[in-house]
Amino acid sequence: MNLTINGQQVEAAEGASVLDAALDAGIFIPHLCKHPDLEAVGGCRLCMVCVDGASEPVCACKTAAREGMVVDSEAPAADRVRRMAMELILATHPTDCTGCVKYGKCELQSMYQYMGVSPMRWRVKSRPVATDDSNPLITHMFTRCIRCGRCVRACRDVRGVGVLDYQHTENGIRIGTDGHVTLEQAGCRFCEACIEVCPTGSIIDVLGSLRDDRSREDNIVPCRSGCPAHIDIPEYLRHVKDGAWDDAVAVVRERVPFPESLGCICTHSCESECKRNGLTAPLSICRLKRAAAVRDTGSWKARVRHEALTGKRVAVVGAGPAGLTAALYLAEKGHMVTVYEANEKVGGQMRYGIPAYRLPDEVVDREMATISEISQGCDESPRIELRCGERIGDPVALLAAHGGAFDAVLVSVGTHAGTRLPMSGADLAGVYLNTDFLKAARQGSPLDASGHVVVLGGGNVAYDCARTAVRLGAASVDVCCLEAEDKMTSTPEERAEGAEEGVVLHDAYAFNSINESEPGSGRVGSVTVQKISRFYFDEDHRAVTELVEGGEVTLPADHVIFAVGQKPEDTAGMGLELTHGPYVSTDAALRTSVEGVWAAGDCVTGTKSVIAAIEQGRIAASSIDEFLGGDGDISEVLTDHPEHSPLLGKVPEGYYDGRVEPASAEGVVRAKTFAPFEAPYTCDEARCEASRCLQCDLRLDLHAPRLWNEY
Amino acid sequence: MKQLETDVVVVAAGLSGLAASVAAAESGARVITLEKASNTGGAANMGMGPAAAGSPVQKASMIEVTPGELFRRHMFYTHYQVDARLVRAYYFKSGDTIAWLQDMGVEFNSVRPAFRARERTRAYADGEYTWHVVQPEDGSEPGPRAATTMTKRMTERAQELGVEFMFETPATELICNDEGAVTGVRAKDKDGEDIEISCSSVIVATGGFGANAEMIKKYMGFEWGKDLFSFAIPGMDGDGFNMCHAVGAGHTPVTMEIMYQLPDNMNHFYVEGAFRQPCYWCDRNGERFMPEDEIFNTTFVGNAINHLPGRVGYAIFDAKMLKHWKKDGPDIVSHVHPHDLYEGFDEQWERDLADGYEPICQADTLEELAEKAGIDVDGLISNVEEYNAMCAEGYDELFEKEREFMQPLEKGPFYCCKQFVGAYGTLGGVLVNHNLEVMTDEHKVIPGLYCVGTDACTIYGDSYNYCIPGNTMGFCLNSGRIAGENAAAKLFEY
Repeated sequence: MNLTINGQQVEAAEGASVLDAALDAGIFIPHLCKHPDLEAVGGCRLCMVCVDGASEPVCACKTAAREGMVVDSEAPAADRVRRMAMELILATHPTDCTGCVKYGKCELQSMYQYMGVSPMRWRVKSRPVATDDSNPLITHMFTRCIRCGRCVRACRDVRGVGVLDYQHTENGIRIGTDGHVTLEQAGCRFCEACIEVCPTGSIIDVLGSLRDDRSREDNIVPCRSGCPAHIDIPEYLRHVKDGAWDDAVAVVRERVPFPESLGCICTHSCESECKRNGLTAPLSICRLKRAAAVRDTGSWKARVRHEALTGKRVAVVGAGPAGLTAALYLAEKGHMVTVYEANEKVGGQMRYGIPAYRLPDEVVDREMATISEISQGCDESPRIELRCGERIGDPVALLAAHGGAFDAVLVSVGTHAGTRLPMSGADLAGVYLNTDFLKAARQGSPLDASGHVVVLGGGNVAYDCARTAVRLGAASVDVCCLEAEDKMTSTPEERAEGAEEGVVLHDAYAFNSINESEPGSGRVGSVTVQKISRFYFDEDHRAVTELVEGGEVTLPADHVIFAVGQKPEDTAGMGLELTHGPYVSTDAALRTSVEGVWAAGDCVTGTKSVIAAIEQGRIAASSIDEFLGGDGDISEVLTDHPEHSPLLGKVPEGYYDGRVEPASAEGVVRAKTFAPFEAPYTCDEARCEASRCLQCDLRLDLHAPRLWNEY
Repeated sequence: MKQLETDVVVVAAGLSGLAASVAAAESGARVITLEKASNTGGAANMGMGPAAAGSPVQKASMIEVTPGELFRRHMFYTHYQVDARLVRAYYFKSGDTIAWLQDMGVEFNSVRPAFRARERTRAYADGEYTWHVVQPEDGSEPGPRAATTMTKRMTERAQELGVEFMFETPATELICNDEGAVTGVRAKDKDGEDIEISCSSVIVATGGFGANAEMIKKYMGFEWGKDLFSFAIPGMDGDGFNMCHAVGAGHTPVTMEIMYQLPDNMNHFYVEGAFRQPCYWCDRNGERFMPEDEIFNTTFVGNAINHLPGRVGYAIFDAKMLKHWKKDGPDIVSHVHPHDLYEGFDEQWERDLADGYEPICQADTLEELAEKAGIDVDGLISNVEEYNAMCAEGYDELFEKEREFMQPLEKGPFYCCKQFVGAYGTLGGVLVNHNLEVMTDEHKVIPGLYCVGTDACTIYGDSYNYCIPGNTMGFCLNSGRIAGENAAAKLFEY
């Protein structure tokens, strides 16, 4: 279909409006109430045009394009109506924009810049409306509202939620909920489409919720940016909601090869970013990953990347999450990988650090088997060779350039050496290190934990030690740490579960001494700690404690476990440049000081988390692949990613409730066994929990209108 | 990471960045202009027009203001505390810059002094006719935001000249070579992708750090939202200031154009406007601190409040004064606040009282008022007694306030509103020479780096130079233009 707009020949699709035809052809006609994702209503009267020489202008957004039509957006009659409409908008809009968060990104500002209109012909009357910041996530500042109705249409037509509407008030028509109830009472989904389509600063993200150091996308979907591996969380939660377990697992597996392990033990920084923290509790993202993983049938396996063999060989030293992740992606890229592991089995901290009641061996075995299977694919022989029980002291010697057999080497040895604080009594019999204690328990030959056990440290590993001691039959278990409880690095869940099992926490205590049971016995008998009022790191990163006078406490102790950090074991002799003591120094691509050698995981970053180690493994794999002549692309598409339905519909029952809690053994029961105590969600529980997701990512599917300066 | 190459990168597309972009492109340079927001014009979109001397508009209006005269006036005002060569460069360019804008299609409605004022209140009365108020495109009388027509014309001109605008793409850092010369810029686009642009010159025009509470605290000692309620235009986070200092730029004092304001003033605009009258203004001890006929001089009042205990002032009027303003109109007319101030006052006042808006209170007696407002009760009572006695005499022994404004506080209810320090953005911080080249603290030029606009605006001394109105926009335009020309000239050395 051909028509003429402002003297220019324009092609338009059947059914297109004159406005769309003009905008698509790069002819700008002012408009405000029309938005790319919303039906036109012809309300703002800025898009006025004269058609076929008619003297009465019409709204371009509501006029269908016709063959041979002659449109003039600059006709004096159209211009007159448009200007008056703009003048009237400005007459009730605050004159001073400087306090507005939308300044610079405001469509109204862009529009008045384009039109050069001043409201001076009218009695200017701003209509102050009190700012409503009582709702979570969304702030209403309707003094700035121009009543274009985009939010109403987005909420009603695009999302099918329909909580916003025009409301008649004493001070004129404004946007609001029926009955002026809160958004929650009205049934808001908090999808934030209203914020996205608002052309002014009337509906905005709660002040301070958007971080300057994050991109727009990361701010809008903070769970995904908060995940070290950037798993597409809203996408897989939608699949869980629909009971599409394989699809959910496929989405997770597009970023990480350990969905079930992570579903059991991930530190889930995504959950602290979840926007539902502003309403009730965040989504139980970690558990939902487990719920999907345990129901996975592996239909995604057919889509796994499987590039032709390159003839290159890579050695991975250390079979923890970082090393195994890198091994998988390198194998998928066509390289032969040999994984050396000092312990008798693979898994690293997943097997020898994290206790079995959190992550049983079977899960690690199963996920390892899957890695072997999918990396081999239809090849005759495996692409990944596991060589357990082989400790590599000199990884550089593995390189072909140094007489070895490999084209590249990845060092991912983790942090398996515990730290003994240099304090009085630290070497007494009965004093253990976290790593030794946990590893022995996992190997089936636990260290003696009878009597009174005191754990020194406040992280998740300290709780792993404490809860392991409980299960080994300790009479009492005390955890002492420097940090006050709100500053402790262990998760609140760990502390709560530990307490249920009988672990007693002494937070904000300095460790004074470990004392002999009898003078000269050489055996620990007690620990003296002292309450502190303040604990911080000074400018030189030295720990400073301010002791409370008379705050000394002596706890009986038959066994003491240091859980105050871990470090790499054998890096000193590797011939690699180190940093901060035993940690391997790398660049951003994880290259070490020796060409051909990479390092990844805890031995680079210090003890972090499985998910962080996996991301390191990904970076290393990509970088090594490039070094070996590949393109470094390890991305995968393991399921279809159809366009999202923008429709959400009315809130389901329970939408504002807290989290669904899975079945879990009681403290007294679980304290006696190393069996996992928490059941995965049932199907119904998982689908119910996943349906609480706000689906923040749908906001990104809305289109931003192009401003005049982009035409 | 995306790699680009061009001649000149302009960081931010506010008024100074637009001027720099157009000037550089006109002189033959290929220009990329990075902008954090999606609109051009920055803070200038709120304004009405720039200052200039010796412009065609002034000549046509038979206003004789020469650059040299303005230069001297400026230097008297600042007591030569500022860089005379920079001030000179600005004023001597300014007249031609008006013609330059006219060539782009910008029309000027008129040249004006700031505001008309009585002879007694000299500050504005002898203000120069330098304010070139932009004619809105629709031919209407200019009001706030009139300057958007100018930023639009400049944007269009820049686009015609091939300037490539990259919106929602903030620059993140400057790139230097081993000799310390600036050779490029890093930026992040709206999808978070990193971009690296190599170029021969970078012109930083990011407009200060008015929206960065942390930096305001660090450099000026104010706590935003507590004892300062200044404009905080989103994005003015000190990006350019930090970027320049990260590559060794020298330091200058940072100031703000101090004025006064209410918290969240846009939602309490009728209240704010209604109190800007020559009634009774005092500190928290109840003592008056200035002749109230000066309260329209926002610079003076802001500075005065800044030096009061607790950095807070109190404006008080009584029922009789309110009745007078409702009937006869305000004694002092604010050009910023609504025209129907006293028609809209009651409604907003009642609502704000009901909502518990912190700065305001109302009481039937002065004692009660003082208590509610947190003013020393005995102090207010005795000071008002003295003041009322002077009103009866018709003469202000304390400050010689204009006689007609000597109205006593006597008839309840009494109305009180706290007044806080406000400000526009920040000024200065980056050391430049009169070519707008950035210099180190040792006054050594950093090759390839220019800084323009408010980050480089060190020419006011301690307070905004209100007697030469249009100054901030004037400096932005001319500094940007000078830098753009110089950056382009480097490309074509013969």
